[in-house]
Amino acid sequence: MNLAIQPERPKPNSASKAKAIIETRDFSFAYGPTQALFDISMDIHKKEVTALIGPSGCGKSTFLRCFNRMNDLIDNTRILSGQIKISGIDIYKRDVDVIELRKHVGMVFQKSNPFPKSIYDNIAYGLRIQGIKRKSELDEVVERCLRGAALWDEVKDRLGDSALGMSGGQQQRLCIARALAVKPKIILMDEPCSALDPVATAKVEELIHGLKTDYTIVIVTHNMQQAARLSDRTAFFYLGKLIEYGPTEQIFMNPENPKTEAYVSGRFG
Amino acid sequence: MQRYFHDELQELRNKLTLLGEKSNDAARLSVESLLEGDLEMVDRVLALDDAIDELEKEIGHACMRYISLRSPVSTDARLILVALKASHDFERVGDEAHTIARKARDILIREGRLSEPLKFKEMSRLSSNLLNDAITCFVEEDIEKAEAVIKMDQEIDALNKHHYEILTAETMQKQLSDASRFDAVLISKSIERIGDHAKNLAKEVIYLLKGN
Amino acid sequence: MAKPKLHRFAIRSSRKKTIEVIVANLFRLMTYCVILAAAYLFFDITANGSKAVFQGKAPFINIQFLTEKPQTLHVFEPLEPYNEIQKRRTQILQLQSKRKALGSNDTEQRTEYSEQIDNLQAEIERWDAQRKAERLKYSDDAYRALDHTPDLSMFKHQTYAYSGGGIGPAIIGTCLLVLGSIAIALSLGLLCAIYLSEYSRPGKTLQAIRLSILNLSGVPSIVFGLFGFGMFVHFFGWGVSIIAGWFTLAIMALPVIIAASEESMRAIPRGFREGSLALGASKWTSIRTNVLPYALPGILTSSIMGIARVAGETAPIMFTAAYALRDQLPWEGLEQPTDFFFQGVMALPYHIYVVSSKIPQNEYTRDMQYGTAFVFLFIVGFFALSSILLRIHVRSKYKW
Repeated sequence: MNLAIQPERPKPNSASKAKAIIETRDFSFAYGPTQALFDISMDIHKKEVTALIGPSGCGKSTFLRCFNRMNDLIDNTRILSGQIKISGIDIYKRDVDVIELRKHVGMVFQKSNPFPKSIYDNIAYGLRIQGIKRKSELDEVVERCLRGAALWDEVKDRLGDSALGMSGGQQQRLCIARALAVKPKIILMDEPCSALDPVATAKVEELIHGLKTDYTIVIVTHNMQQAARLSDRTAFFYLGKLIEYGPTEQIFMNPENPKTEAYVSGRFG
Repeated sequence: MQRYFHDELQELRNKLTLLGEKSNDAARLSVESLLEGDLEMVDRVLALDDAIDELEKEIGHACMRYISLRSPVSTDARLILVALKASHDFERVGDEAHTIARKARDILIREGRLSEPLKFKEMSRLSSNLLNDAITCFVEEDIEKAEAVIKMDQEIDALNKHHYEILTAETMQKQLSDASRFDAVLISKSIERIGDHAKNLAKEVIYLLKGN
Repeated sequence: MAKPKLHRFAIRSSRKKTIEVIVANLFRLMTYCVILAAAYLFFDITANGSKAVFQGKAPFINIQFLTEKPQTLHVFEPLEPYNEIQKRRTQILQLQSKRKALGSNDTEQRTEYSEQIDNLQAEIERWDAQRKAERLKYSDDAYRALDHTPDLSMFKHQTYAYSGGGIGPAIIGTCLLVLGSIAIALSLGLLCAIYLSEYSRPGKTLQAIRLSILNLSGVPSIVFGLFGFGMFVHFFGWGVSIIAGWFTLAIMALPVIIAASEESMRAIPRGFREGSLALGASKWTSIRTNVLPYALPGILTSSIMGIARVAGETAPIMFTAAYALRDQLPWEGLEQPTDFFFQGVMALPYHIYVVSSKIPQNEYTRDMQYGTAFVFLFIVGFFALSSILLRIHVRSKYKW
């Protein structure tokens, strides 16, 4: 019986192959001598919000940053085993152009990091570095992205102002809008609301909820309520291992693993 | 700010209203079946009760889900609590309807149509109105109506008492068999219980709106 | 005496507080001493230097001093005051020696001598004023251009090397050296700093490189001078030339520039880099668009300051670029354009050195020394100020 009150319940196993946009298989990862991720296998589904939760240092951010190879910037990182496929392509193969990958997989960071330029230039940045200079095209993209990030009405009269004059929540939404400009398929968010007040957080959450009709979103969060509110699926990480992964309802209402139970109910440690 | 998950609360309200209407239907139909002597209607009531049970379970799950995933507080939390209690009340109304229908079938099979002096029709109309008002005051968030419901419940209690007196009177002993009279008392008692549930519901609405 | 009752938060004296006050005031005193010393330095140079640089008449700035090349000064002193002064000086010397010979009891005699000396001094001063009013000063050019020399029966003719004319070529030379070495040092230093801070992998090697760059800044300037002499002047065969001076100064300024640039770049938040990389920027694009513009103010300021400091050094250019005296300005008498780079120039610091220590001192060299120092101070100040203005300008454009 299909219940109207439940938004489409993701079915974990049925047709998972068809819907998976990120497929991770036995992925192990290390910073120098310390292994950070242990044999992680999980599929992230198209046009869903997937939340990664877990205590600090559990590897969830590391895992997130593997999806657009942001960890390449850190020295002495290496993949011990396994692979990550995005849209069917192993992104750690030698013939992968990281720049193309990062256009496909956008990222929003914990600390909102708008460039110290005007609002307009912030959005246009991603296009300008690709060599797109035509004003009309840029104008159109800027408007589309700002509308997409529910920011247009707030800033349309001051596109030339510095982005640093915006409030924290607006800055974070600007960063999301900026990521949209390069037309990614997947957006990674590394604790996007950790520095925001509840109202700004709510706005960003609304935005994320609205974005999932067009984008696949993977979000790392320390805030369990946020994961519960926002995500369709939740993965619980502990000490670099994936403890449990499933529909958010299952993780929060009836988790299988006692560790997950302890964590989501606040009995951890 | 309206959040995207607040829609779920509205859906919960809708579902609760639907449950209320269903249970009201069941209660009304069960008494009607007795008065009309319609055995088919009895079956319909029994089927309706299953649907009501199902719906109550659903509401329970939705409440549980909302508590787990949305961490409600204040009005939202009270709504969840009220939804849980009210759905339970409605489910009990359904059960009473179920009982009435079964007793009605027994009586009909045993006696055919029931004779006049019993005021089941009026009683059923009252309880149905009461239940309706209770649902309306929940939907419209109307405290005054809720308070009226609480008062009106006394009329049903009076009718119930009246039935007791009639059914235990000597004249009645000749017209009806003991079993049927006993069933009739139980039916009356069930209708009275439905009124009580309506009263409970009104109290819950007051709690929901006032918060104490 | 009735002691008022102290409440909980009342001020009570204690040893700790006394020490606190003493320490704070000690710091204050020391700071004032430093400020005083600096103020005195600036005041002295400005006060004495402005005598040479400014004048009482119309343009108020001594154009000759700023534009002409150094020349021999010809002075014609009026004979009468000159002789009178010499005579009195001899008398004073005699009196002084007499006074010295006196026993400790002859106080009367002593005071008499002293009075006489004082009188003579006063007379000398009077004659001196007359001498200054009547004497004639000509720089070499002006002297040669004279139709007839002053009557030598009324004047005594004396010449003083380097004391006439001006410091024009030295100013131009210094500006050229500073600008050129800024260009070279900035480009070299910036490239180096970008590589070190953005591209290189941290490790032992990088530590070693950093340490050696740091050590380079501790090397005495004379060593750089000798290095430049060996490397550029001899090995490359550039001779004593501007370009050798540029490279020597640039290399000397490099450690400061690299350290400062690296520091500025490291101060740029990681988020800018990550943000642009995550949008699909290549590493160089992200550095070019999101690191350099914001680091530039800091880099420019500290670099120009560094160069301005180095430009004040005498030792590095002494062997590589500076001439004590050069008649031609750098753009005069070039056979081919490249010769411009391969000629020596005069430079202010070296000029100060020459005027102060290589020629006999007299009352006329003093003006030259202070004047040069003042102008030099002004030029260095100008560079520092322009770097600060530049920073303010760039900062207002890129602010975070």
